[in-house]
Order: sequence, then structure tokens, then C-alpha cells
Amino acid sequence: MAVATCSRTLEQEYGIPTAPVSTYEFSGFMRDDLKFHGIPLRVIYTPHPVVGMPPNILRNYIEGKDPATQRTVIEEVIEALTKPVSEDECTGDFAPVSRTDVRQTLLELDSEDNLQRLFYERGWTDGLPITLPTEERVAEMLTGTNRLADEVVTEIFLHDTQEYLQFTVEMVAIIGVMAGARPEHLPVLLAVASTGLPSIPGSTTPFACMLLVNGPIRNEIEMNSGIGAFSPRTLANSVIGRAWTLLTINWGYFRSKKQFWSSQGNPIGYGNMCVAENEERSAWEPFHVQQKFRAEESVVSIFRGWSFVNNVVGSSTRSVGEDTCVLLGAMPGLFSSATLILDPLVARHLKENDGFESKLDFARWISENFKMPAGQFWGTDLIHMMMAPLAEQGVEPYASWKKLPPETLIKPYNNPEGINIVVVGGETSPMWKVSDFAYATCASVDKWRPKPASDGCTDGTCGLPDDP
Amino acid sequence: MATMLRSAVLNPEAYRTVRAADGAKTGSNGSFRSLAPRLDTLSDKTVYLVDTGFGGSGKFLDQVQAWFAEYMPSVKTVRRRKTGNIFRDDTKDLWNEIREKGQAAILGVAG
Repeated sequence: MAVATCSRTLEQEYGIPTAPVSTYEFSGFMRDDLKFHGIPLRVIYTPHPVVGMPPNILRNYIEGKDPATQRTVIEEVIEALTKPVSEDECTGDFAPVSRTDVRQTLLELDSEDNLQRLFYERGWTDGLPITLPTEERVAEMLTGTNRLADEVVTEIFLHDTQEYLQFTVEMVAIIGVMAGARPEHLPVLLAVASTGLPSIPGSTTPFACMLLVNGPIRNEIEMNSGIGAFSPRTLANSVIGRAWTLLTINWGYFRSKKQFWSSQGNPIGYGNMCVAENEERSAWEPFHVQQKFRAEESVVSIFRGWSFVNNVVGSSTRSVGEDTCVLLGAMPGLFSSATLILDPLVARHLKENDGFESKLDFARWISENFKMPAGQFWGTDLIHMMMAPLAEQGVEPYASWKKLPPETLIKPYNNPEGINIVVVGGETSPMWKVSDFAYATCASVDKWRPKPASDGCTDGTCGLPDDP
Repeated sequence: MATMLRSAVLNPEAYRTVRAADGAKTGSNGSFRSLAPRLDTLSDKTVYLVDTGFGGSGKFLDQVQAWFAEYMPSVKTVRRRKTGNIFRDDTKDLWNEIREKGQAAILGVAG
């Protein structure tokens, strides 16, 4: 947390006495942080929240009581800066919380019902029943890769205990079994795990992620990139998306007010919008090729953001580009990032009728034509938090935008390469989705695969079950 | 009566702890590291009010500044926004300015 970290730096490296202020909601986090770093910062707590409070309430916070001590906040601030540091203040239990206990690899034998309950009560699940990871099932899952079971796939850093945890191929296989995955899904799970990115990042905001799969493995494992690809219908999409959240949970990211802070959460976290790109029906090159992978390579790509909105009946009054700009108006425009998910019909229309030869061509058009009043842009708290410092540092165009009258129109998506375009859908109607998701990273699946790819699907609907 | 599973079930949390992060440092005598020396008084001192960028922090510090102006006018307060990323301690310019021109800092608000 920046307040504690920056205060430590000022105290230790610059010799400046500080009075760090936090809302009381984060007192536990602060205590862990101070304990771990061994610096007895004099943190003062206000009631929670501060954001959105009018001036008179904030003034009451200052003249009122610190909920932790019942002493007046402003008096504590003054004391924090002037009361001499005592020896007593510098003693105490400073050892970091340790997770170095040796963990039992096998659980005690029990009944299916009791073990299901145990998994839930230990916080190892997403609340839904899981497939119990028996030795046999995990061994079967491990046939999905030629990597050794004890090979380390990733290291995860936990902020609250300030530790790195190692996760092996076997542990990813355990999670795969729990999610209902099959051995052929394991290479995708390993690729996702290798990024070290959680599906639900530690934040009070409703972060969400999208997991995109490109390349031949999409069809080999029967992923759906066609009709209803985002709907809960296809085994591979569902279990891979779910497995990522189960990984996240078992990486320790779901311990409330330790790593997990999302005030309202986000239902996208159940399946993480796990989908394949409909490369066969797309008018443009696949996303992974845009990222400089070979077309025949299988790749997972991760996008992170908060929200998406749908165009729900196509677009006949305005152009697709114009309607996309309308939908983008609901997004903050953070770091010029957006992700557009277009049905193949929309992509072909844009190419064949509107003349956009590539995804980047369309992104450039959006970049040039989406406009927002400067006041609306800077008035968004997320923009103020993340981008105002850039303006203050003189980074262009933000520094110039900051000086504009509020009604002046700016082009927040000034970097077309930040506008990602993915083609997904079953061509029943020319619709699309617009999201504030930013591209985070990608990882090759092939290094985790036991054999080369083969391809048979031609319409992106390989994963669909037969109609009844 | 529930039937026992015949197969052992693996623990999904049986990961290995590799190491503690580099920040795990404590004083040489096993105590907390000490804070910077405190001021005798805030009177006639310059106190920087550093908005770390979280929502509402700036408005909170505006009120702190107003309080000092009203009740401790001899304290010179300087309102500044932390430079760099909101989540990182990547600031140098402002910290150098505080060392050069100020004597104390109030940072907030985490939350």
C-alpha cells in the first residue's frame, strides 16, 4: 500500500517524520505490513470511506476520533510528527506471518460428502461442487503434459505475508481435476498458470479477466468460438475458465481482507470469459499473430478490466464504428485501453463494406473518432488516480489535456494499439461487445503439450454439444 | 452411512514457500527499525500534505490544510500529489523536494 511504503521511504531514507493516514477498513492490512517491514509507522485511522465524502464530513473525520484509538485524529497527526521516538516503540513482535509449515500432501481418507464439505470449508473452491482430486484422477490429468509433475510452473507473491509460493505442474493438475477439466485441457491451464496472473487481482474494485485461446489447440480440445461462445454451454470453455479461478483461490488470493478486497465482486470470475477466437470465420489475422506468434502456435492471452457492454441488435442507423464510439462512452479510457469482441459478421462487414483491411485499421479509426470532453475524462476517479500523475510529470498528451477547458473534446484512445480486437461469435446476428479490458499478457501453450497440433474444425463450433 | 472414498485425495494447498520477500528486514538487535527523529514543534515548520492519489485523499488533505490554517497558522502546509504510479514507491522528485524544503509529511489516505 503506497501510504505505508512511501512513509517508510521518507522515514528511513530521507529522515522525514511522517504521519501516514489510512481508513480504518485497512487497519489489518496496515498492521500486517508494519509487522512485516519492522518499522513502527505511526498510522492514524479515519472512519471509512473517505472517497465521495463531502468537505464537512471530512472535517469531522479530522476533528473526530480515530476508530482504532478513540483519540482525536488531528491530535494524533501532530503527535505522530512531534512526539519523540521511544525505545518501547521499537520493540515488539515484528516477525512476518509465516506460511512455512509443511503442508500435508494427501488428505485423510473420508467420504465424498465430507471431503466436498472440507474443500468448501477450507476455502479451496468457488462455492460450487468440485471433482475431488484423487491420486488416480490427478495421475490421469498429468498424462495431458510431458512435463514433470514437480516442475515449478510459477511463483506467486502474497502481499499480506510477503512470501513467494511455488506451484508445480502437479498442483495445476490438481486444480484441473477440481474444475472438471480433462487431460487435454492441462496444457492450456499450465500456460495460464505460467503467467502468474490471478483471475481476480487483489483490489477493492470489481476486477474481471478474459481468457482467450488461439491456435490449433482450440479445436483439438473442442473449445467454442462460435455460437454462444461466452455462454455456459461448452465443456472446455467452462472448465478452463473455472480452473483459472480455482488456481487463483488456491494461490491464496481469496482470503478476505488479506488478498481479496473486491467490495462487490464480479460474476465474470466464475468463468473468466474463457473463449477461443473464431479464426476460421474471422476476416482478419488472429490475435496471437498480432502478438508475433506463429499462426500454428497455440497461445493463451489474458485481458483485464472491469466492464463490458453489448451492442444488442446490430447497427443499421449508425455505422459500426459510430456505435462503438457510443458504447465506449461508458468506459473511462484508461491508458487508451479497450477490447472489442466482434462477431465474424461484424468483422467481415468492417473489412468488406467499410474498408478496414486489418484490426489495427479499425482501431485507428476508433482512436481518431472517439472523443470525450476533457472534464469528463479527468472527472473519472480512476483516471485521476492512474493518469493525473502522468500529466503532472509533463507526459504528453496528458499534460496538455489537463490544461484544456472541461468542455474541450479530447481523444482518450490516443494509442490505437491499445484497442484490442478479437473475433468471436456464431454469425446469427452482427453484434459485438465493447469492454474496458486491457491486454495483459500471453503465453505459449505448446511448451506444455505432449504432442503437436492437428486441426479439423472449420467453423469454430467444435465444442458445442449435440442438440437434443 | 456415507461410503469412504477408496482413493486418497490431494491437498490443493500443498505448495512450497520459497522465500520471504526482500522487505523482511528488521533492526540488528531484533527490534523494529527506528523512525526518523521527530520535530520539537510544528510551529514555523513546513509540512507537506501528500495526496497518494486514492479517491477522496486530496479533498481530505484540503481539510487538513484548512484546519492548520485555522488553528495552527504558523505551520506552513504544502499540498502535493504523489508523482509516479499510485501503487508504487517510485517517487524521487517529491521526496527530494520535501527533504530540501520541508520538515515533515502527512501522507494519505490509504483506503
